[in-house]
Amino acid sequence: MAYKPQFGPGMSIVAQNRRKQMDPNHKLEKLRDVTDEDIVLILGHRAPGAAYPTAHPPLAEQQEPACPIRKIVTPTDGAKAGDRVRYIQFADSMFNAPCQPYQRTYMECYRFRGIDPGTLSGRQIVECRERDLDQYSKLLIETEVFDPARTGIRGATVHGHSLRLAEDGMMFDMLQRCVLGADGNVKYVKNQIGEPLDRAVNVGKPMDEKWLKAHTTIFHSLVGTPFREDQEYVEYVQRIHSLRTKYGFMPKEV
Amino acid sequence: MAKMTDATYPQCRIVPARFLNPETVEKLLNRLLEVGGIRKLVLNGQRIPPTVPYGPARGQPNPHPMRRVIRVGDQDVELQVQVGTILLELEDRAPIDGIRKACDEVFTKFPYSLSEGKFMKTQATVSDYAKYGPGADERILGTTDPKSRGGPLIIQGTK
Repeated sequence: MAYKPQFGPGMSIVAQNRRKQMDPNHKLEKLRDVTDEDIVLILGHRAPGAAYPTAHPPLAEQQEPACPIRKIVTPTDGAKAGDRVRYIQFADSMFNAPCQPYQRTYMECYRFRGIDPGTLSGRQIVECRERDLDQYSKLLIETEVFDPARTGIRGATVHGHSLRLAEDGMMFDMLQRCVLGADGNVKYVKNQIGEPLDRAVNVGKPMDEKWLKAHTTIFHSLVGTPFREDQEYVEYVQRIHSLRTKYGFMPKEV
Repeated sequence: MAKMTDATYPQCRIVPARFLNPETVEKLLNRLLEVGGIRKLVLNGQRIPPTVPYGPARGQPNPHPMRRVIRVGDQDVELQVQVGTILLELEDRAPIDGIRKACDEVFTKFPYSLSEGKFMKTQATVSDYAKYGPGADERILGTTDPKSRGGPLIIQGTK
């Protein structure tokens, strides 16, 4: 029988959402339109419309050593062109953000090629070739894994994921990269490292509480789905914990 | 060591469920001033620096709508934090009901908690000692960060 990945345990809506996001066959729901130029502005790595700066000559123009792995792996577009490696970093609020750092890394590893994710408690960074980054960022911002209020695109000074929200429902940001306008739309006024943008970039309206609760991948006992209510998840985590404690890195079940 | 004659002043802590906008802080503080009987008041929260503190954009100005000057009584107060917690030290327990009423009036869109306890330091720490020396005025301990250049703000009451 062919191997069918299960992606993760759990019966709760949170567990289902986690599996959905990780499953590369599930098409992420597109919720907003952000143009390529806007994405380049938020990322702040190069001027919109500028050519991709390169770190090395295109692969076609340089001599490659005889290597069996290079024969097996098709290079991504960015690698083929010799682009620089650049990044996008997200901070996700614990108050029912649609994605969270570990989940992002799992999801990206299932869905994207040629990436180097870095996972931390409150933020997640993904590095890859610039050309690929633009595509991946577009997907990460336009689809259901992003919420303008609860998710922040933050290259530096990311603090805020575990804090109370502001009165208008926005996650705390020391640099206030995005502001909730009077029309209900969230606009980025600074790029991800905090440099002011020439024009504000609209990323749409924040999703409502009901939608967030139904689409979140974070357990939260006060505002969302409590972890303890998902029996299967608890059982799974306890099993892993017990195996690790008893057997270290070579678990054996008798 | 505390002397028998040392008065202990009751302290309160107000924790709203959301971080506050400057307008809400202004409203609440002015209501608290009306209630009166407050010896010290500390606005705690996440600091909002005037310039970007680190990263590639370090040193660039950091315009932030939450960092602005509010008017409390007849004084201008420059907020340096996005207010999350308000600590109070009172003359006696009498104004607590008034404070609760003021909070009920201001925090209408989200809940808050008001608790009584001990929330401010009463003795000089090493940092306080380094800043103020041996004879520090006990009234200003805990009201301001001893490492910052600015001191506490004094709003004259009717006393």
